[in-house]
Amino acid sequence: MQPLAILKPASLSQAVTMHQAEPQPRYLAGGTDLVPNMRKNIQKAQTLIDISGLAELREIRTESQSLRIGAGVTLEAFCEAPAVRTHAPLLVQAASQVAAATHRATATVGGNLLQDTRCYFYNQSDWWRTANEFCMKCEGDICRVAPKSDRCYACYSGDLAPALLVLDARIDIVGPTGTRQEPLAALFADDGMHHLKLAAGDLLVSVEVPAQAGWSAGYEKMRLRGAIDFPLAGVAVALRRDGNRVAELRVACTGVNSYPGLVPGLEALAGKVPDDAFYATLDKAVRKEIQPMASTLTAAGYRRRIVSAMARRLVGKLFAAACN
Amino acid sequence: MKRILRIQVNGRWREDAVADNTLLIDLLRGPLQLTGTKQGCDGGECGACTVLVDGRPRLSCCTFAASVEGRHVETIESQAHNGNLSPLQQAFHEKLGAQCGFCTPGMIMAAEGLLRRNPDPSEAEIREALGGNLCRCTGYVKIIESVQAASAVKMEKSGEPA
Amino acid sequence: MNAKPTKGVGERLPLVDGVEKVTGRAKYTADLFPQDALIGRILRSPYPHAELLEVDVSAARALPGVVAVLTGDDCDVPFGILPIAQNEFPLARDKVRYFGEPVAAVAAVDEQTAEQALKLIRLRVRELPIIETPAQARAAGAVLLHDNKAGNVERAVHNEFGDAAAGFAAADLIREETYHTAEVTHAQMEPHAAMASYEPSRDHLTLHTVSMVPYYVHLRVAQCLGMDTSRVRVIKPYVGGGFGSRVETLNFEIIVSLLARAAGGTVRMQLTREESILTHRGRPESDTRMKIGMTRDGRVTACECEVVQRGGAYGGYGIITILYAGALINGLYDIPAVKYDGYRVYSNTPPCGAMRGHGTVNTRIAFESLMTSMAGELGLDPIEVRRRNMLPCPTETINGLRVESYGLPECLDKVETASGWRERAGNMPKWKGLGMACSHFVSGSAKPVHFTGQPHATIVLKLDFDGGITILTGAADIGQGCTTVVAQIVVEVLGVDFRRVRVISNDSALTPKDNGSYSSRVTFMVGNACLDAAQQLKKILVEAAARRLEVAPELVDCMGESFHVATDPDRSIDFGTAAAEALVNTGTLHVKGTFTCPVEFQGGKHRGGAVGSTMGFSYAAQVVEVSVDPDTGQVTVDKVWAALDCGFAINPLSVEGQVQGAVWMGMGQGLCEQTRYENGKHASANFLDYAVPTMAESPPIEVFIVESIDPNGPFGAKEASEGPLSGFPAALAAAVREATGLDFHDFPLTPERIVEALEARERAHRAAQRKSAKPARETVTEGAV
Ligand SMILES: Cc1cc2nc3c(=O)[nH]c(=O)nc-3n(C[C@H](O)[C@H](O)[C@H](O)COP(=O)(O)OP(=O)(O)OC[C@H]3O[C@@H](n4cnc5c(N)ncnc54)[C@H](O)[C@@H]3O)c2cc1C
Ligand code: SF4
Ligand code: FES
Ligand code: FES
Repeated sequence: MQPLAILKPASLSQAVTMHQAEPQPRYLAGGTDLVPNMRKNIQKAQTLIDISGLAELREIRTESQSLRIGAGVTLEAFCEAPAVRTHAPLLVQAASQVAAATHRATATVGGNLLQDTRCYFYNQSDWWRTANEFCMKCEGDICRVAPKSDRCYACYSGDLAPALLVLDARIDIVGPTGTRQEPLAALFADDGMHHLKLAAGDLLVSVEVPAQAGWSAGYEKMRLRGAIDFPLAGVAVALRRDGNRVAELRVACTGVNSYPGLVPGLEALAGKVPDDAFYATLDKAVRKEIQPMASTLTAAGYRRRIVSAMARRLVGKLFAAACN
Repeated sequence: MKRILRIQVNGRWREDAVADNTLLIDLLRGPLQLTGTKQGCDGGECGACTVLVDGRPRLSCCTFAASVEGRHVETIESQAHNGNLSPLQQAFHEKLGAQCGFCTPGMIMAAEGLLRRNPDPSEAEIREALGGNLCRCTGYVKIIESVQAASAVKMEKSGEPA
Repeated sequence: MNAKPTKGVGERLPLVDGVEKVTGRAKYTADLFPQDALIGRILRSPYPHAELLEVDVSAARALPGVVAVLTGDDCDVPFGILPIAQNEFPLARDKVRYFGEPVAAVAAVDEQTAEQALKLIRLRVRELPIIETPAQARAAGAVLLHDNKAGNVERAVHNEFGDAAAGFAAADLIREETYHTAEVTHAQMEPHAAMASYEPSRDHLTLHTVSMVPYYVHLRVAQCLGMDTSRVRVIKPYVGGGFGSRVETLNFEIIVSLLARAAGGTVRMQLTREESILTHRGRPESDTRMKIGMTRDGRVTACECEVVQRGGAYGGYGIITILYAGALINGLYDIPAVKYDGYRVYSNTPPCGAMRGHGTVNTRIAFESLMTSMAGELGLDPIEVRRRNMLPCPTETINGLRVESYGLPECLDKVETASGWRERAGNMPKWKGLGMACSHFVSGSAKPVHFTGQPHATIVLKLDFDGGITILTGAADIGQGCTTVVAQIVVEVLGVDFRRVRVISNDSALTPKDNGSYSSRVTFMVGNACLDAAQQLKKILVEAAARRLEVAPELVDCMGESFHVATDPDRSIDFGTAAAEALVNTGTLHVKGTFTCPVEFQGGKHRGGAVGSTMGFSYAAQVVEVSVDPDTGQVTVDKVWAALDCGFAINPLSVEGQVQGAVWMGMGQGLCEQTRYENGKHASANFLDYAVPTMAESPPIEVFIVESIDPNGPFGAKEASEGPLSGFPAALAAAVREATGLDFHDFPLTPERIVEALEARERAHRAAQRKSAKPARETVTEGAV
């Protein structure tokens, strides 16, 4: 592990200031993503600004029209919080499938959203990557997954983001230029190397989940084992039912792109009866949105197929369970 | 960077000069000679290094020692008191929850974390709580039975029906 | 007086070293931190196949804090298992043959310096074509990994027992299928580690290591260092699992010893998980072509089998593995004729070796799968078809293996009843299925790998002035519990309190040589040696007690902690008194027990006939219940019922634990584990890509112990830890067959494969509908996918 300094800010603003002042800084929350990556020397830092002690980041607050979750809330605390369980059970479904319970006791909501993208050529030891002459995302210059490409296709594999996306969540950021709120969807970019649209020093403070009266939502994750594994693919769905029709539908995926994305073009399905044609359109929209690449040992084609299948059955299940 | 790190380890406060890039597992196993905590993987993938920090399970291989400054760290070495095994230790011993014993310290600490919160877990809750702790010997069956037996003992002691 | 001897065997006892394990006090090799130890690290080849032109270590040597740097030039003595197949050097010379092969090593004052030194070493190479598959290896004109092995075939085995052609001629149904099984690795939870101390003034080396067979390590280390074996001492601390990964001497054990000598001090070496997986010696990827002939009523008339194993870069246990794969087609069922052709092929991948169920697993998967499928064609129940092929007992198989106890029929009964097989099999709800299979394994190879003329097992009991009984054994406890077994046997024979007995194991300076923990030999062989020693000690004690009690020895009742006059039980002396009497004139007692497998058990006369020979086979049957998710292809194992004939359960608790561990490891191979290589470079040397099952999705495993009381085993005991493994994958595939209607011949049954096969069927179905032809056959082989 490279030499480094760990700093402990007393406040958010001090954290941001430290980030401005210190060499090669990174925020450190639960460390369950960052530390393994640093041990592999794929993420580097000379200064770690340990934000795990900041109480301001650990609040869960129910507001009149929304739920606000501090970025420093651990996934364990998140899953156990009555406010989350009643307000957005979908989020518990997603968060409770992150890694394993021992990780979740320290892993945070913020760290989960802002985790690095993953690739078989990237998440390897220093020795392995040296032997493979590196790749574009770290120390090399070509992409081993798509050698002709000028971008990186490393895969975003967080579980929480798709669930928050279908709930229309917004995020609060404090940075060197002040604070701002934006839709969560605006945080991500389709680029495995720069998948987060954050400026240097930007600190995620909280996530705001608007109340979703009348919506039903669920998350399905496919992984080889019942714990530990990142999603081979994950699908979150939120829908509103109106009689025998789907009034509104949102679908978001993870594990199949460099960013977690809402599937576009679903407005066309609003007000439709979920029949074969409906599902065919859904299928097409999902397939169009996702682009799994050979960044995992599990074939991309398989990941592509199951996303469609999971989306279809999740919509069906939620529709059936939703009261008219 | 080095600092004088003040942490409570197994009930005793101590101060050690520790470099900031030192992982908690290396501090425990090296200078502190608490080798009960094991390293089973190259970071975050096996659970063998699980300890408790302020009563909650934590992977000591993904944790900088400096991050737990001022906090209470418990390792497997703290679990027996005056020669009496903890209910989990006793159960793992009697029910063969440990074969080679290498995953055992991490497994027991993760289970301890579970039982402190949920003294009477269902089988599903045990599987969930220990899902990150790999064992290559037991097939997990007797580990689950061990946790259940320890839970029964704890429930009995606390006077509640098991 | 109502003294009673303590019961030792047949009891559900915790491990005698269990408290050390649950308290964290047990010291494993990596837990030893001597003050002055240097850190050893290995530089590994970044090339899968290359000629080594130069290894330039000058810059590394010059780095302050570096104490020793070694390359292949520093040791020109090869090592390996069979004396005829030693073709591996601790550090590569001339050529590197797999990605990750050790090329150089350093000892330095700390981790960072060692790491930095490795980065300063420069390799100059000429890259060679990479041989990744047996087909590439055997292709005409393929570059040879080892010059003396034409076609890269390390060993071809051809044999036929009985008349296969006649057998097939007598069959009503003949089927042939090829099964592909991926390479798997042991993934024992403890990464490899070793520590060597060299004392220059006496030219002595002490090595602490994670070995399962410290005695091989002792020999090979001495050989490679050119030291007299008497100046080497090998100590095995607690070991965190083996499963075969550590039955060979491994390169790092020799390297750390070479480093210690070069540095004139102590060197610690801890391998990463990645390095541990790269060191490998796991189960080879195999293609198994299996052909079985059966009569209409389900009797097997003949079997023909061809196995091709991708063995990796070096010999290791390879020859034995390929022999096992053929030999143990026999010994489970009554088969009149077996023809076997095996090919062990070199490739530019880490060397394969012995892994739990050594050599037999992939063949068993093929045989059981095909047997079940043929039973289906004949309209027979899979359990019934097996019942029709039971061996008589005692018997000798066509290839000269002796079967003296045979609890398989009872195993079948147990799992059939417990799983509700009769009512449920074939009638499971949609996307659910039940499957079953049988398996077996040796209780120790009756002929050891190294012929020495010595007994196969030796144990020493020491009784001294303190009245304590110290069991000195070289048997390596790797978590399987053999330390407990020997203590139980001594207590059973002598009847003494468990607290009177302690076990000292695996220090070559103190404990007698043992052939090691492989081929499930320890309970059987060391157990028998221990029984022998304990009986001798008992005799000595009884005679001593008789002298003190002034009666004839026949009149002494041994109650363990006391000795009584049979006719007058109130006249007695305690153990300490008897022991003191026994020591008179002789002093400290060392009672040695031994065991040797008689030559008639050592297998057929044919070449390689010793492999597979044993004094007792364990037998297992299991039923597996699964659910399949048709959308994702996820297979969930809901429940397993496993029955094992272990002869006699010296420790039923331990037997259950072994069976559960074995069945579960078979599940890993069947369901999700595989080592993968891309362009000759490993792709899964971590616990995310090499998916060891977690507790979350692992099934309940109900165990039934069947005791056939083997005439030669200690108290009738046989092995308990390997036999149950190999039945699982075939039982799984059969269950998935019921759930999906599809046959799978490719293992593991990953979700990917399931989804692909389901979709292929769907496509075929649609195509058939379009042509409105006959419905497609519901068999999908790899070719059709
Ligand atoms: C074996 C293993 C399995 C895993 N499986 C999964 C899985 O199934 N699903 C999944 O989603 N994840 C998985 N993870 C990844 C990780 O554990 C989780 O994503 C976790 O939630 C990360 O949170 P953390 O607090 O530990 O993040 P950290 O590691 O502390 O941080 C992650 C990144 O976010 C940045 N960051 C953290 N908080 C903030 C903030 N408030 N503002 C700005 N930047 C911030 C850090 O600088 C860092 O770059 C796994 C990890 C491991 C080791
Ligand atoms: S997608 Fe390409 S550039 Fe990105 S991490 Fe993988 S190999 Fe590297
Ligand atoms: S050592 Fe494997 S998770 Fe920490
Ligand atoms: S007991 Fe050996 S790894 Fe769990």
